[in-house]
Amino acid sequence: MTAQAPSLVNRLVLGLAAASVLVTGVAALALDALYRDLALDARRDVLDAQVIALVATAELDESAGLAPASIAEPRLTTPGSGLYAEIRDQRGQVTWRSPSTVGAGLELRAAPAAGERLVERVTLPDGTRVLAFSLGVSWEAGLQRPATFVLSAAESLEPYFRQLARVRSWLLAGAMLLMTTLVVGLALGLRAGLRPLRRLEQEILEVETGRRDALGAAWPRELEGVAQNLNGLLAGEQARLARYRTTLGNLAHSLKTPIAALKSMLDAGHVESGAAASQLDRMQSIVEYQLRKAVLAGAGSTVASIPISAPLADLAAALAKVYHGKGVTCSRDVPADLAYPIDSGDLMELTGNLLDNAFKYCRSTVRLRARADERPEWRRNGLVLEVEDDGPGIASADRLRVLERGVRADESVPGQGIGLAAVGELAAAYGGAIEIGDSELGGAAVRVRLPGR
Amino acid sequence: MRVLVVEDEPVLRESLVQRLRAEGFVVDAAADGIEGEFAGREYPIDVAVVDLGLPGRPGLEVICAWREAGKSFPILILTARDRWQEKVEALQSGADDYLTKPFQFEELLARLQALLRRSGGWSQPVLQAGPIELDTRSQQVRALGQPVELTAFEYRLLEYLMLRAGQVVSKSELTDKLYEQDFDRDSNVIEVFVGRLRRKLDPDGRLHPIETLRGRGYRMARE
Repeated sequence: MTAQAPSLVNRLVLGLAAASVLVTGVAALALDALYRDLALDARRDVLDAQVIALVATAELDESAGLAPASIAEPRLTTPGSGLYAEIRDQRGQVTWRSPSTVGAGLELRAAPAAGERLVERVTLPDGTRVLAFSLGVSWEAGLQRPATFVLSAAESLEPYFRQLARVRSWLLAGAMLLMTTLVVGLALGLRAGLRPLRRLEQEILEVETGRRDALGAAWPRELEGVAQNLNGLLAGEQARLARYRTTLGNLAHSLKTPIAALKSMLDAGHVESGAAASQLDRMQSIVEYQLRKAVLAGAGSTVASIPISAPLADLAAALAKVYHGKGVTCSRDVPADLAYPIDSGDLMELTGNLLDNAFKYCRSTVRLRARADERPEWRRNGLVLEVEDDGPGIASADRLRVLERGVRADESVPGQGIGLAAVGELAAAYGGAIEIGDSELGGAAVRVRLPGR
Repeated sequence: MRVLVVEDEPVLRESLVQRLRAEGFVVDAAADGIEGEFAGREYPIDVAVVDLGLPGRPGLEVICAWREAGKSFPILILTARDRWQEKVEALQSGADDYLTKPFQFEELLARLQALLRRSGGWSQPVLQAGPIELDTRSQQVRALGQPVELTAFEYRLLEYLMLRAGQVVSKSELTDKLYEQDFDRDSNVIEVFVGRLRRKLDPDGRLHPIETLRGRGYRMARE
């Protein structure tokens, strides 16, 4: 026993789940990076503005240090506000610090050259992370030589980190929700989508166990063809089986009578050769008739469309050869592109018997016509075959009898009519019918209609 | 008339050989496709009866081989499987008619005679050459409307000449076609029979239905 392959649903769900984890993960990471980028940019802009404000209000004091004349930003004057500013001179000595730095222990080290901007991150002794922005400024006013001062503004990043943590938890929750929804939705969708397959399996099982004759109706478009073909196959098989049963039954039944007759002759101890021969003839015609019926392939959806014109031309040529001495004119009217799903042997059998009769009974002319039978309810065209001759024809009173003759072979005259009856059976095996009428040629017109699908 | 029977079933073959001989045919028989193909190619036969299901070489192949070798004698096929597809194939490969087994010997005979007539260019069962009339079905001969009584051999001789009416038929051809192989070819028995036939058909010597062409053979006047 071979290991069962993983189920289609599992494969699809696993594959799509992996893909959705990847996609949502990447999306969450990208959103996170974007948020950090934007948030830090905004904070740097705020610090930049603070430094510019410092530059605008700075003045030299008596000890040649630089300090703002006034402070507009209230957070700079409030200790522990989280916003800090300081000014250092060339040597790194702090010349001014905002009142908010009291007790914070801020130590900045960035030393930008004049006109340069530097961003640094420092951690205060209490663990607070701080973003600092420093600008080098060359100061000339009131000095003999220009001196470079570093003006810095710094802000605690703690509110930013708190916000980031919140954003990340939302992102994570969103990603989880998205993934779960996707995977569950997929699993449910697939389960629902593949339900017809399970139904198909179940119905085939039911057909197998004999609880059902054919597959039901109302299949999704993708499965409709499969279901139809399976039904066609089943119907063909059932019809074939039924035909075999009937054939066997008829064969056995109809052979009994001549066997009994022969036996009684033997029992009587007197076998008259003429009588024995006639019983043998009878048995022969029975076997011939039933065999002819049994070999029909019959319609099935598995039968492919075959071109009709070429086999009919072959048949007509073959019969023209056989009836060469009779000088028969056989006209054929068969479209070159005509096609119909029929077993090629059945097509030969059907047309062969019709044409043989026509050649046999005609005076000099036989006409064979075939055409497609188009009807709006059929996707594939049906087929109409018509064979006419200028012979004596078949009287209306005899038409039914001719077709029925041979149904019970033990009651039939050997030879005569078996051909037409066989054609009728064959047409019926394809769901079609045979009609006998009068031909404008003067003799019989036999028409076989095979349905489309 | 010389007929070749290619049939593997011994009972059927023997019965065919016997009954065809009884009907006045010169019969060659073969039990398989290889032997049959050889006989058809090498012997001067007029018509062949070939079973399709043969050991050695299938009947269809045998027929194809004959036709490829340029043999044009008519061929009647016998088949146990009554399928049109098979019949059409056989007729396409060069056979001229078919008969489904089992069959009546009379049917076979009628078909053979029809094929022979056809290959001689006759389409009617009654052959007519001028005042001479030969009915192949009843084997009756009339000259100027009067019945003529012929022996079996005389009838066969006349039938052969009439089927080939208008053509020159050599003495050796007549020996080949009307006698089994062991016949003494130097015998002038053909001349004797032709002489007798002339006397029976034309007792008054007015009609001259059979012409003698010195050193070449005989010719039946077509008209």
